[in-house]
Amino acid sequence: MNEPLVQFRAVHKRFGTYVAVKSLDLDIQRGEFLALMGPSGCGKTTTLRMLAGLEAPTSGSITIGGKVMNEVPPHRRDTPLVWQSLALFPFLSVVENVEFGLRMRGVDARERRERAMMWLGRMDLKGFESRRIDQLSGGQRQRVALARSLVTEPEMLLLDEPLSALDAHLVIRMQGVLTRLQKELGITFVYVTHSQSEAFAMADRVVIMGHGAIEQIGRPREIFRGPKTRFVAEFVGRNNILGGTVKAGLMDSAQGPVSVPAPDGPAEIVVAADRVTVSRNRPAGTAIQASFLSEEFAGTGIICYFETAEGAEWKAQVSESQLAELQPESGQSFWLSWDPARAHVMTG
Amino acid sequence: MKTFIGWAYLAALFAFIFAPIAASVVFSFNSDRFPTLPLGHFTTDWYARAFSRPEVWQAIGNSLIVAAATSAIASFIGFATAYTDFRYGFRFKPAYLALALLPPTLPLVILGLAMLAWLSQVGLSGTLTGIIIAHVVLATPFAMAICRLRLSQMDPSLESAAWNLGAGPWTAMRHVILPFCAPAIVSALCLTAAVSFDEFIVAWFVSGLNRTVPVLILEILQGNVDPQINAIGTVVFLTSMSLVIAAQFLIFRKRRHE
Amino acid sequence: MNASRKFDPYAYVWRLPLLLWQGAFFVIPLIFMAAMSFWLVKNYRMEPTFVFDNWERMLGRGAFWDAYWITLWRAVLAGVIASAIAFPASLFLAFRLTNSGRRFALLCLIVPFFTSFLVRAYAWQVILAESGPVNAALGGLGLGPFTMLNSGFGAMVGYLTLVLPLVVIFQTWSLAAIDKSLIEAAGNLGASAWATLVRVIIPAAKTGLVLGALFAFIMTFGDFVSPFYLGGSKPPTLTILIIDTTKSGQQWPRAAVVAIVMILTLFAVATAAVKAAYRGRG
Repeated sequence: MNEPLVQFRAVHKRFGTYVAVKSLDLDIQRGEFLALMGPSGCGKTTTLRMLAGLEAPTSGSITIGGKVMNEVPPHRRDTPLVWQSLALFPFLSVVENVEFGLRMRGVDARERRERAMMWLGRMDLKGFESRRIDQLSGGQRQRVALARSLVTEPEMLLLDEPLSALDAHLVIRMQGVLTRLQKELGITFVYVTHSQSEAFAMADRVVIMGHGAIEQIGRPREIFRGPKTRFVAEFVGRNNILGGTVKAGLMDSAQGPVSVPAPDGPAEIVVAADRVTVSRNRPAGTAIQASFLSEEFAGTGIICYFETAEGAEWKAQVSESQLAELQPESGQSFWLSWDPARAHVMTG
Repeated sequence: MKTFIGWAYLAALFAFIFAPIAASVVFSFNSDRFPTLPLGHFTTDWYARAFSRPEVWQAIGNSLIVAAATSAIASFIGFATAYTDFRYGFRFKPAYLALALLPPTLPLVILGLAMLAWLSQVGLSGTLTGIIIAHVVLATPFAMAICRLRLSQMDPSLESAAWNLGAGPWTAMRHVILPFCAPAIVSALCLTAAVSFDEFIVAWFVSGLNRTVPVLILEILQGNVDPQINAIGTVVFLTSMSLVIAAQFLIFRKRRHE
Repeated sequence: MNASRKFDPYAYVWRLPLLLWQGAFFVIPLIFMAAMSFWLVKNYRMEPTFVFDNWERMLGRGAFWDAYWITLWRAVLAGVIASAIAFPASLFLAFRLTNSGRRFALLCLIVPFFTSFLVRAYAWQVILAESGPVNAALGGLGLGPFTMLNSGFGAMVGYLTLVLPLVVIFQTWSLAAIDKSLIEAAGNLGASAWATLVRVIIPAAKTGLVLGALFAFIMTFGDFVSPFYLGGSKPPTLTILIIDTTKSGQQWPRAAVVAIVMILTLFAVATAAVKAAYRGRG
């Protein structure tokens, strides 16, 4: 019934001796917005390129719509890609760019012009059809690239860091355009990015990759609040990580004993920066001591950086009024505390 | 003062380099057989005499055939080689590229001798085909360099983008790579034609009775001093220059757009 | 299996033309020429064999070595003189001209490559003749007439006409690529203009300077027009020797010996020069 659109099964990809992707198992559902996220070199782009047929897996299988696609060349697939560089053809006009896919499929001139114009209209590009690509702004080019990929009405759209070349304010606008488009069309979007704000803002599910393997798959909030591995905790959000052995609800961390709601044995916990309270005097309950380093203004508040006596960096998010009250100066000692029940115990 | 000396020095150097070119044009319109100062009167007599000789027209015909065939073949091989270098990595690629770029560094007299000996073995010496073969060897590296330069300005994902939109390798070549390289290919056609049109040493070795224009000049030169050479030389110069300027124009016009 | 390992006819359509053409008409002719140097000519026909007759005959001849040394000497001389004449002009082009002015000047310097060197040599013949314009002008000043043709001077005029544009292009490229702040820093540290030139500019532009001289050497070494039409072909150079041996004597195998000696010499000089050009660089 609900068979996934795409299935990766034990997929490996090697370039010479370099392993780009290892034992990848991944299902992509019809109509979902999936983000592949990770630092550069984590294998996310290779995964996307294998989906488009631009790379062939070294071993394992990739099926799309129930058909094994390993050896199918890119031009026999319907997996249009929006490129990081956009890869618009500079010697063609805007409308000729959009028509390209239809032309390759042998659609006759009148119909392909009509369909291309329809998509240009939909992308707010009416009146630009005969322009050259170098006469467009960055945002307009972006929309031409989208129209060019969608004109064949594919079941799935691949996007490779398409917003990385845009100005910050345009990124937010394009995020809106993309999510609306995906909902309206009801097709699958596979979106590769290294930016967590893009992935968390748009995706239904996020896949975190590191060193060629999947670290965690989940809804944005699940990953944000419940990272499974140290890698994910460090890559996602502003997290503080503490490790040690738990005995009777107490962990002997490097920063002293802290209370942890976990069974006995080795464990690592994650305390998100926005769940850390900063105070000058030792509060009741779980707290560690650290000296203030610096502060940084973030969109949602102010991030204060601390260093413990053992040299571990800790982050805490405070409001502007809290900062004014604390008046921290570099080197001053503070207490960082949190509610043990809201610390996340990693299981990965 | 320093700048003035600089300009004067530069002007003197350019004057030396361009003196023979300018002189040959001037002499071609000068009535004296042995020009000196002051110059004789203006005449087009040398042109009239040179171009009333049937062997001149024969040579022009030969040169045009050789230049056209050379430019077509050399531009194709040059483009194919540039595309291979752009697109593929393989073992022995340095050797492959050396083969693509070395021929112009070999003295033409040596290339002429080797060509003469080899083409005689295969029965092509003394034919226009022989000259074309030799000129393609010489001109291909220029075509390759021009096309490679153009390809290095291309976004490498452009070709993949064409495959991604449903174009097979051949279709992508026709609809993406070739249109992108078009100005470079036309420019390569012009430049390789100019290289062929001016080359006389290898052509002299292998041409036999099928003389091209520069070979004819060489043979006239071995006889008596004759200002007809200036007339023919000026025409050859104008032909080559139009080809080179056309090539330059195409390269630069395209660059301004990007 | 990896898809990229499979035989891909498309790739070979683009890869093979060069290999076939330059293999059949560049590599094989050169190999054949080397083999031919061991053949013998009997009754105006070459006969395949393997003897060292041609080598012994050519290398054992004083005239060959005279030609060898005069060719080598002239090529070295042309490399040095052309570099020396070009350098002040290249400095001026690199440091005193705007980018577009420099580009235009270099574009002009490409023009001579597409004019017939033969016609240019002929023009020099006329200009430098005993009764030609130069002597007429000097005569007006009460000097001369000088004999300039059919001499080492005449040949050198030809060589310089041939190589100067390329040497200026190479030098200007490498000089213009020098980081200007390097020069300002030298001045700032109290270096005189001369010290800056010798200690900073010349070392930084070394690669282009050496390559320019190398190309002047290669082109002079292989030129036959200048020594033949302006140098009076006495003493003969190696190129004149090849042409005489090929054209009049039908002794292709002996010409091949000369050609191979030339190739070996060029290879040795080019290797040494490239090594020198890139020494002390990453």
